Amino acid sequence: MNNDVSTTLVVEDIHKSFGPVEVLKGISLIAREHDVISILGASGSGKSTFLRCINLLEMPTSGRIHLHGDHIEIVKDRHGNSRPKDQRQVEHMRTKLGMVFQQFNLWTHMTVLENVMEGPVTVLKQPKAEARERAEAMLARVGLSERKNFYPSGLSGGQQQRVAIARALCMEPDVMLFDEPTSALDPELVGEVLQVMRKLAEEGRTMIVVTHEMGFARDVSTEVVFLHKGQIEEQGPPEAMFKEQKSDRFRQFLSKVR
Amino acid sequence: MLELFSFGDTGWGDELLAGFGVTVALAAVTLPVGILLGFAVALASMSKNRVLRSIGIGYTTIFRGVPELLTLFTVYNGAALILNQIAKAANPEAGFVELSPFVAGVVSLGLVFGAFSAEVLRGAFQALDKGQIEAGLAVGMRPVHVFHRIKLPQVWRFALPGLGNLWVNLVKDTALVSIISLNDLMRMTSVAVGFTKKPFTFFLVACLAYWAVCALSEVVAAKLEERANRGIRRA
Amino acid sequence: MAFTDVLVNFWPRLLHGLGLTLLLTGVSAVLAAAISLPLAVFRTNASAKAQLPLRVYISFMRGTPLLGQLFLIYYGSGQFRPALQEVGLWTFFRDPFNCAILAFTLNSVAYQIEILRGGLMGVPAGQIEAAKAVGMNRLQAYRRIILPHTYRIAQPALGNEIILLMKGSAVASVITIFDLMGETKTIFAKTFDFSIYLWAAVIYLVLTAVFVRAWRYLEKLLNPHLAGHAPAGALHPVMGMR
Repeated sequence: MNNDVSTTLVVEDIHKSFGPVEVLKGISLIAREHDVISILGASGSGKSTFLRCINLLEMPTSGRIHLHGDHIEIVKDRHGNSRPKDQRQVEHMRTKLGMVFQQFNLWTHMTVLENVMEGPVTVLKQPKAEARERAEAMLARVGLSERKNFYPSGLSGGQQQRVAIARALCMEPDVMLFDEPTSALDPELVGEVLQVMRKLAEEGRTMIVVTHEMGFARDVSTEVVFLHKGQIEEQGPPEAMFKEQKSDRFRQFLSKVR
Repeated sequence: MLELFSFGDTGWGDELLAGFGVTVALAAVTLPVGILLGFAVALASMSKNRVLRSIGIGYTTIFRGVPELLTLFTVYNGAALILNQIAKAANPEAGFVELSPFVAGVVSLGLVFGAFSAEVLRGAFQALDKGQIEAGLAVGMRPVHVFHRIKLPQVWRFALPGLGNLWVNLVKDTALVSIISLNDLMRMTSVAVGFTKKPFTFFLVACLAYWAVCALSEVVAAKLEERANRGIRRA
Repeated sequence: MAFTDVLVNFWPRLLHGLGLTLLLTGVSAVLAAAISLPLAVFRTNASAKAQLPLRVYISFMRGTPLLGQLFLIYYGSGQFRPALQEVGLWTFFRDPFNCAILAFTLNSVAYQIEILRGGLMGVPAGQIEAAKAVGMNRLQAYRRIILPHTYRIAQPALGNEIILLMKGSAVASVITIFDLMGETKTIFAKTFDFSIYLWAAVIYLVLTAVFVRAWRYLEKLLNPHLAGHAPAGALHPVMGMR
């Protein structure tokens, strides 16, 4: 295991099979503090599955995950199914990994403010008054203070996603995970979300972003990872990767999306 | 213990079987009555005529909202009273006219089934694919033909699950008619209990018999649904 | 004129019967609600093998007449009187009211389990994933996210089930409980005044109508988010949604 003090997240050799089909064939990733890693790939390459394996929303078939002292080990139960050795570790680690979903997944029965406060109050056991203050500050940072008493159904997609980002941030995570955060948005709403994400990167947030937004990958990331059929085909700093591709597949992929 | 259920003089097998037959007969006779009534009321509820609509809605409200047992007593006692008035008017010497509990059962359960099935059918009618109806009219079919060849098969398909449920409820509700002394399965079971002093055993067997009929009905309903949905692609 | 006579003369008994009907229905419904929730969670998550006894129970309660279930408990317990006396349960089973509550509760549990299961399975997966992602454990996720959604989805069907329970409770009159149905029968036997049945019908209908109103009001109270927009006093939302 890497003893480097600035290492934040170490993901080792993640395999994932759905029945007989192996979707992730051994992916490893290291995210150091202030890294902004963009994960690119065609649909079916396994990029979302991999991201969801990091916080165990998908159960890897095998692999290890380390985050600042939390270690997740995957073992097999008596039926041969994979499960984490310690479920409590999983829940603890999830509090340090913020996730932003493609479909926002704001809790529809709570107001915007309640959504952002919910994690800190219920999971982190913060006192309500303190959580409310922090939530309001966070909503101000993403530009949605005026909507704090609205229900998600009264917000546009872009606004909902910004609330989702605020919700994840309020847990004060070590790493933020973004699962195609703009893919479900109307084109004119994509910009406002990317702007928030840029600001986070500039502030030094550690981020792992699965995305189709090449502009973000090229201009904001510190590292680009290209997945093909469950394996890392190519990875490196964005300037190099976008200027000259070492693998044919990555070149083909870029030509189709640019 | 099995001798209790044997056929012949010593066992109750034949009495219970006879009761079972009455139960099934009651349900079977009520079914067509209820469905026809349901169609009529459904069409009334959807009619442009305000009076018909009110009658339809009033009918379903009353017979879905009042306990079946109360409906049964009302029909049984009410009909007895009316029949006796008529009999006395026709012939002052006439004795007390008995209304058959079976008929009272068919009428009251039929009224209830009619109300519930009217709602199921109404939902089915409202779910009809207007495009298919228009296609029928466009090709020159008269409204009667459209009703028979296009609307009814679809209504049947949509209503089948709901009607299947109502049938199961009907079978169970027939047990209520035992209270007005119809010699159905429940009543024969009670009689047997009176003699054998084994209430749990006999009522359990009766329940198992109802359970069997309901389970069988669900299998049949599933088969009918399969057939009615042939050619339909599920989302 | 004669129409209202029976009401004028017997309204105390009818009121008493009505109270008993409400008590039977209310107690059974609440007991069943409490029991059915953990069972519904079990039913939704457990393996097919573990669930089998529960599924048999549900099938039996839904496939046999309530009257039969009532007889099975009230009269049937008589067959085991010595054994019940020994464990001190005979005083419970001897009382028709207790037997009625037991039968109605057991019956409603079966239906409520299936209703809640529908609710549980209807909770959008994304809501649950967001709960997991923020680090909630199972209990927290159920309490804050899953169960609120479940009951919102199940509410109409649960209201329906309570109405059916109330109608079904009329069979309690057959084992000498003087609920609304029981009093009605008694009054008719005394007076042979047919109108008592009509009044009873009216009372049941009014009960149902009042309950439906109240249930719908409860639905509005619990679902402020379905109105969609901001509470009064806030700005108009920008509806740019898909």
